[in-house]
Amino acid sequence: MRTVFRIGNAVFAVAILATALVAGCATVPLRTEASTSGIRAAEEVGASQVPRAALHLQLAKEELKKAEALAADGRKEQAKSQLMRAEADAELAVALSRESAEKTAAQDAVERVRKLRQDNE
Amino acid sequence: MNTQMLLITIACTGLLAASCATTAPQELVNARNAYQQASNGPASQVAQAELHVAHKALTTAEQSFRDYPDSYRTLDLAYVAQRKSELAEATASIVNERRNQAQAKEDFTETQGRIVEKTKKNLSQTQGALADSERSGKVVADKLQAEKVARAKAEQETADALAALAKLAAVKNEARGMVITLSGSVLFASNQSALLPEAKTRLDQVVAVLLTTRERKLVVEGHTDSQGSDSFNLDLSQRRADSVRDYLVQSGYEGDLVVAHGMGEGHPVADNGAPEGRANNRRVEIIIERAPQTANQ
Repeated sequence: MRTVFRIGNAVFAVAILATALVAGCATVPLRTEASTSGIRAAEEVGASQVPRAALHLQLAKEELKKAEALAADGRKEQAKSQLMRAEADAELAVALSRESAEKTAAQDAVERVRKLRQDNE
Repeated sequence: MNTQMLLITIACTGLLAASCATTAPQELVNARNAYQQASNGPASQVAQAELHVAHKALTTAEQSFRDYPDSYRTLDLAYVAQRKSELAEATASIVNERRNQAQAKEDFTETQGRIVEKTKKNLSQTQGALADSERSGKVVADKLQAEKVARAKAEQETADALAALAKLAAVKNEARGMVITLSGSVLFASNQSALLPEAKTRLDQVVAVLLTTRERKLVVEGHTDSQGSDSFNLDLSQRRADSVRDYLVQSGYEGDLVVAHGMGEGHPVADNGAPEGRANNRRVEIIIERAPQTANQ
């Protein structure tokens, strides 16, 4: 009788532990920091003003949402995989914005030289 | 027959399965193309680190495709690999645009320097020209001042000369010029045209004064009284005028500037009825023409 009680206790403890473990895994939140900070960075460098960059910014936002939906649906691994897309698109949006800004600056610099020469030579 | 049909069906199914297994998903095809494009472009020169990351991403996607061809993870990895290649291209473009900017800034500085040099040179030339102009202006001013001084001196000399003449002979300022009248009796013996020795002494004094205004034209006029015939008097007055003229020229006056006219008895200055009047009418007049008016006066 005592032995049965002991076994029952052990099973109960294991069951509690297992439940806690499963519950813990299920409630670990999706790590979206990299995606959200990438999206914020793209917005800050004016990605929405540059057509190609705006497209990738939009894709990143949609992919982040999709990842969150997958996570909410319990498909954590697929959600993490989807987040990689969001991060890659946000990173590309930042680069495309910078490329556009550098291009404009280079054109302005060339134009300044042209004007200087035109006015003085 | 049934066995044969079964074999064909199995073969077809096998082929289908094999083709499904080896057909890469669109994401992976895109990733391969994107990497191909990036590695053939400027990224291979200026964005090697980013291109390396893209290559690693593509390798990971390919590996995933081999291990789990139909997994969502393969698609996601391929998608990311495509973005990494595009990122390498964008990075290369950024590097190139920055180089263009640096080059343009260098061109700007170089052009600016050239313009400054050119401006300095122009300024120096302008300053040189200005200095030349000032120098030549000073030369002109100095010349004008010298001319002014010389003119004042000449005018003073003329005035002095005329004052000296007034002591030697009758001097009158008439419309035709300054008229110096020398008495005929002082210069010539009766009915003669050769100058008397004392006449020469007198004329020397006049010539000395005339030579101070040697650039002016002189008219020497001979006049007689009314005694004797007109033609004789005209001839005598011409010869006497010529004598005086010749003497002036011998004494150094420019021959081209001296003309002699015999006026005869036609221009008396006094009454021919009295001996004093006739004595006054026998005379030689030297007319100094007025100084020509110059633009600077």
